[in-house]
Amino acid sequence: MSGTRGSQNVYLLVPMLLIAVLLGIAVIRGPHLVSYSGFGSAIIVAAPLMLATYALMALAIAGRGTVDLAVGPLLAFINVSVVKLNMLGIITSPFAVFAVALGIGVAYQLLFVLMILWVRVQPIIVALSGFLALTGINLVILPRPGGVAPDWMSSWGLGTSILSPILVILVIATGGWLLFTLSSFYGNLRMMGYDERAAYTSGVRIEIVRVGAHVIAGLFVGLAAICYTALIASGDPTQGTTMSLTAVTAVVLGGVSLSGGRGGVIGAALGAINLFLIGYVLATFNFGSVQAFVTQLFYGLILILSLLLTLLVPIIGRYLYFITPYSAFVVLGCIVAGIMLKMSAEDAHQAALVMATTGSEGELTSRYLLLPGTGAGGGLIHFTMTALQKQLLGFAAAAALLVFTLRMTIAEAISVRFGVFMYVFVSSLILMLFILVGDLSLARVRP
Amino acid sequence: MSDTPEMPRRGPLLMPRSLAFVWINLALALIVAAIGFGLGFAQGVGAQLVILYTIISVAVLFGLLNYVAVILESRAAARAPAAEAGRAPLDEPAGARSVWMGNRVLIVSMLLLLFVYLLVTASVPSFRTVTNLIAFLVLEAILLFAFKVSGAFAHGRSAFIGLIVLGALIVVSSFTIDGFLSGANIKAILLFASFLGIACIGQTLVALLGGLDLSIPFVIGAANIGLLYLIGLGVPAGVAFGMVLLIGAGLGFLNGILSYRLQGQALILTLGMGFAVAGLVQILTSIGSSFSGNVFGTVPPWLQNLAAMNGQFFGLAVPPTILLWIALAIIVIVALRYTANGRYIYALGGNRRSAQLIGVSELKYWTLAYTLSGFFAALTGSLLLGWSGGGFIGVGDQYLFTTLAAVVIGGTSLSGGYGGYGFTVIGVLVLQVLSAFLIGIGLKYEWQQFIFGLLILPMVALYGRAPHIRAQV
Repeated sequence: MSGTRGSQNVYLLVPMLLIAVLLGIAVIRGPHLVSYSGFGSAIIVAAPLMLATYALMALAIAGRGTVDLAVGPLLAFINVSVVKLNMLGIITSPFAVFAVALGIGVAYQLLFVLMILWVRVQPIIVALSGFLALTGINLVILPRPGGVAPDWMSSWGLGTSILSPILVILVIATGGWLLFTLSSFYGNLRMMGYDERAAYTSGVRIEIVRVGAHVIAGLFVGLAAICYTALIASGDPTQGTTMSLTAVTAVVLGGVSLSGGRGGVIGAALGAINLFLIGYVLATFNFGSVQAFVTQLFYGLILILSLLLTLLVPIIGRYLYFITPYSAFVVLGCIVAGIMLKMSAEDAHQAALVMATTGSEGELTSRYLLLPGTGAGGGLIHFTMTALQKQLLGFAAAAALLVFTLRMTIAEAISVRFGVFMYVFVSSLILMLFILVGDLSLARVRP
Repeated sequence: MSDTPEMPRRGPLLMPRSLAFVWINLALALIVAAIGFGLGFAQGVGAQLVILYTIISVAVLFGLLNYVAVILESRAAARAPAAEAGRAPLDEPAGARSVWMGNRVLIVSMLLLLFVYLLVTASVPSFRTVTNLIAFLVLEAILLFAFKVSGAFAHGRSAFIGLIVLGALIVVSSFTIDGFLSGANIKAILLFASFLGIACIGQTLVALLGGLDLSIPFVIGAANIGLLYLIGLGVPAGVAFGMVLLIGAGLGFLNGILSYRLQGQALILTLGMGFAVAGLVQILTSIGSSFSGNVFGTVPPWLQNLAAMNGQFFGLAVPPTILLWIALAIIVIVALRYTANGRYIYALGGNRRSAQLIGVSELKYWTLAYTLSGFFAALTGSLLLGWSGGGFIGVGDQYLFTTLAAVVIGGTSLSGGYGGYGFTVIGVLVLQVLSAFLIGIGLKYEWQQFIFGLLILPMVALYGRAPHIRAQV
């Protein structure tokens, strides 16, 4: 997303709004999410879906209506292959496992693209063929869920801390795509997806570009399979279909155009996180025996609604041009952060009432800020301000935030480009708000 | 078997002009017949029968090969420059390069098949049987036929290939599997083919308009448990049946309306719709029940009779579902070919804009196709309830892709405008006979699925290839 104009990214508004609503509900319903282990396990559960969504996104951008429905079965295929090879003792070392996983993903996608380019069959037929074949062969390799993942992977799926290897994989994948968007290859890819004939007539080597898109998708699927294997720590040949459908939903929700040319890693990630949050929120309501059906119903409805919303996006873009994704990000981020703090502060309030010790301070900072506990009053932030000072500081921060938001809204509206700096600045502001409100609530509790 | 080589002209017997062709064809026919002859005695069939079958097969094969040769000759003659009009097609050694250039895909794929066969034969001792050899030869022949002959049949090329594959499958299966051609087995194949065929009606119509309907399996499953649930509630079975069909049609209508503006993404939208429907129906049926997802009840006898293997139709020992499918197939084929509405569907699928300019409402036919799709999916689900006698949401799962596969294998273009239900019937039969064959030789469902998946690509590659981008600019 080299977002030059706000109006191009208007597709991000919908997933962003939804994510704010869902995150708010999720935090209220299940406050456990806001903690080390909560975020850690959330990342690990969401990672396979996110990476599978990236793969679909890369293919969808390439155009020709390429929706690789076989992405789920392919993921399961790599999963059961890795587990089977591990059980046979052939391939156990981390390097070899990564090589096998990425290799299978890329090999399959190369086969896919050769079918499209040389045999010239519609992509949907190739995807259908791959879906059937892979679903069948998965059950041959591993008839039922079971087996063990490689030993070195066993600690990956615990989710006790945020900084797990899974997060590193996610960051590398996301960053890799963002770096890729800087290349001219990406420009060619988008052009080909948007109008293949125009790209061909203007001299783009469309065969090579298409092969490139599939190779990238293959790498993403390989990474997704590794994360999935780490998550379930065994092999499961049966989850492919569900994963396909969920990933397709996430891609659509993330504003990626299935007809090609539009989409990005941010949207895909937002879509995948949305679907994870839907599952999380629904899990907090206790539906008993019909839980799975309710989830199914909601996935279906969300898929339909998000598709229908893409019809509304041009209208939104026309009338609400002054709201840009960046400003929405700031406003919604503040609201959600507020809700998070409120919930956590209530927790802390009760905890403080019970314990009535100073230990709760460290717990609180570690809880909200996901920072190491600061001990009694020392460390990271100077907590020894008077109440007046704190209030003043709070007002100042709020005023700065307001001014900044307005300023950015205006700037975005007249399409002035902002860079990475803005993201950093906004996130640091939100972080400041976190600290302040947390500190204030703590101050209220302590006397 | 008198081969009267009429050198100058081809007579009513369809003899090729070149004598070499006649001898090659005769040799091929005799080789195949000899194999059959030996096999017949090896299996202990009566001598008279064996001789009869051998003579018939030689005659049929010889006639067929000659026909093919004539077509090839006439095409070659039509293509050749006027000066070389009289030459025989195969006797030009200087053309070896052009033969290679013209047939490289065929040659490569045949060699590949040979390689695979030799590899498997060399590595698996139990694979070395005569029937496998025959199967291999038949496959090679199919390849040859499909590549060389089908070009002569510009229209209905896919149907031609489909019929050849179907014939080959039946021949191979009846060689390999005891009792394959018994009445009970044929009835079973037809019964399953009619479930799939009825479900495919809607998919074909939608595909003719350039859309896809992936909600079919979910509607089938939902209708299956929904009908049993309604009957369990005390609704009269006939009324419940009608209600389920109406709801199915309504869901299809909703699919059509919602996807009208999103035609490129109809695939995904119907998938979402199917998901939602299956979830909703399961929630509804599990309220007040301790068995979530499973519905219990008694299926009325008339519904069981309609679809069960031992069903009766006015004394005939044929399940009425098969006859229903045949009737529906005739109606749909005739309606698509001869009624104005049917032609409008082709017109819309072929070119939206020109169809609209002559006053064909796109919205009307688009929603109509989806409505019919939902209706027939619900009908299939209800019939499957009669067949199985118990409700199960997953009963439609295998139809998610087999409906698509049948349409695609039959030769209906997924981009619309070309094909028809007759093609789909061939596709359905190919799939079902193949499935019966695979079950017969003891393969599990997973392997079947794998083979289905691999089968689709070459079938489509034979006739469904898109033009190169440089031809589209």
